[in-house]
Amino acid sequence: MKKIRLGVVFSYIILFIFAFITVFPFIYMILGGLMNFQETTSIPPTLIPHHFEWSNYAKVFARAPFGRYFFNTVLTATVTTVVSLFNSLLGAFAMVNLRFKGKGVIQMVMLSLLMVPGEAIIFTNYNTIAHLGLLNTYIGLVLPFLTSIFYMYYLQSYFGSISTTIYKAAMIDGASDWDYIWKILVPMSKSGLFTVGLLSFISGWNSFLWPLLVTNEDTMRLLNNGLSAFASDAGSETQLQLAAATLTVLPILILYFIFRKQIIRGVVRNDIKG
Amino acid sequence: MDNNKFVEVKNLRKVYDNGHEAIKNVSFSVKKGDLVCLLGPSGCGKTTILNILAGLLNPTSGEILFDGKSVVNVEPKDRHIGYVFQNYALYPHMTVLQNVMFPLIVGKNKKSKPEAQKIAEKYMELTQITELADQKPGNLSGGQQQRVAIARALVQEPKILLMDEPLSNLDARLRLKIREEIRSLVKSVGITTLFVTHDQEEALSIGDKIILFNDGVIQQDDLGENFYLEPNNYFVANFVGNPVIDNFKVTKTDDELQGTDFTIKLADLDESRFKRSIPNGEYLLSVRPENIVPASDGILNVEVDDVELIGRERILKFTHDDSQARSLISLEVPVNHGDQVNLKMRLDRVFLFTPDGERVY
Repeated sequence: MKKIRLGVVFSYIILFIFAFITVFPFIYMILGGLMNFQETTSIPPTLIPHHFEWSNYAKVFARAPFGRYFFNTVLTATVTTVVSLFNSLLGAFAMVNLRFKGKGVIQMVMLSLLMVPGEAIIFTNYNTIAHLGLLNTYIGLVLPFLTSIFYMYYLQSYFGSISTTIYKAAMIDGASDWDYIWKILVPMSKSGLFTVGLLSFISGWNSFLWPLLVTNEDTMRLLNNGLSAFASDAGSETQLQLAAATLTVLPILILYFIFRKQIIRGVVRNDIKG
Repeated sequence: MDNNKFVEVKNLRKVYDNGHEAIKNVSFSVKKGDLVCLLGPSGCGKTTILNILAGLLNPTSGEILFDGKSVVNVEPKDRHIGYVFQNYALYPHMTVLQNVMFPLIVGKNKKSKPEAQKIAEKYMELTQITELADQKPGNLSGGQQQRVAIARALVQEPKILLMDEPLSNLDARLRLKIREEIRSLVKSVGITTLFVTHDQEEALSIGDKIILFNDGVIQQDDLGENFYLEPNNYFVANFVGNPVIDNFKVTKTDDELQGTDFTIKLADLDESRFKRSIPNGEYLLSVRPENIVPASDGILNVEVDDVELIGRERILKFTHDDSQARSLISLEVPVNHGDQVNLKMRLDRVFLFTPDGERVY
């Protein structure tokens, strides 16, 4: 009895240490964004600012077009989410419910493409976009992410769990494939679609390498690139860097807080990535 | 238009991609307004046939006519059929009313919502699910889901209703009740119905006629009682009947059937029941348990292994030729476990089959 309790205490200590290590940078980022310059650089470090410098945020917006970065990021993340969700939905439906020649081959080819890491093809993608003259455009930013084999597979496993007789019943009831998708498949797969949408939006929000490659104008920057540029522009003003970082992370953190149940459920249910 | 051949299937064959021949040259027809049972053991091809009739599967070859018109290349939705699936296939995110209305608000002939609702409510009343209108299928019992599925199948007023083992997910008592309801419902609507089942009792009780399948071949296409009284072959005799038929190996000589421990004179058999003249050799003699009963002038002496009471009657079980056989007797006849009895066969009711199953008597 005593032994078990000791084990529980020990595991809580370990959990606390790791939780602290994970959460501390976030907390320090938020607090640091509200300090003055001396406090962020003093040794021993300050944890709680004496006076909350809310003006840091105003300075950040004055120094760099963060409003524009926000707009760009929201736009590209939304467009990639909506379009890739739509494409994955149709693709997954076709692979699950339709019978056509070469389905097995297509499935295999796509599965093997899934094995290719994104970084490996990033330069060919860059060349394509450059040749198309799409550098520094929104289209160039979103084009490579409008389809996703991974999301399609995720949805395929989701749709596969719906009994095939439901599709047959809909066919006999006179529904077209389009009716079936919107009136039956989508309402029945809400949580799967939601997970895919959320994952897609978050990865769109966090994207860094691709927008860095295809944009170099300030007006086309996304938040993460803006942030890294701002960090060097702001030079030694660490309090402003921290405030800007907070601005970048906050919306996604809020999303996590609101939808954490769905995110966890989606990840747990995901039997492809495991 | 031939009402005797409202549904007509000619030389139907289905070979699956893996080479399995599920349906081998099947032909049958169904009279308008009839309720026909497609009966057979699991894997005999009966559900495949239903799926082909519905257009959910394409036949490898053969012809299907509904009301005299070929439907082989017609989409399921244009075949004017209703289909009740074994698992009901209700849309779980819709209420009962929405489920029943669904066929009316999609596709080419879609109706306005109020009109669709009116028709749906009529069929919900017919199937007695009006009070369940706002429930989701997940909250319904198996029997209620069944009714919703039937209402949804009927709401398009199809010409043909296809039902795939619709009762197999229900408990025994409910099954009896619902099968009577289904019969009276389809009869009152007057719809031609094909009903797939593996349960012979179900088929015998509700079918106007029964088509018995095995191995993708029709074994018998007949009225229910004929499966019992005049089985086409050994498979039919053994598939239909409860308790199952008794089979005895016999050797035919010039004037006798010689079994293990018993002999039957050919002269005692009914000459007119022979299908053809048969050579001497090995045959199988099959007797329904109620036609082999204890009698003082019995020809087969056996020891009773076990007595099973089934209501009004009792089954005497005995071993003959290393296999178990049964005799069905009235409750009043005093026979106990371990008794020696003489059994007599009603020779005008026995069947004789060749070793490969052909019926010759």
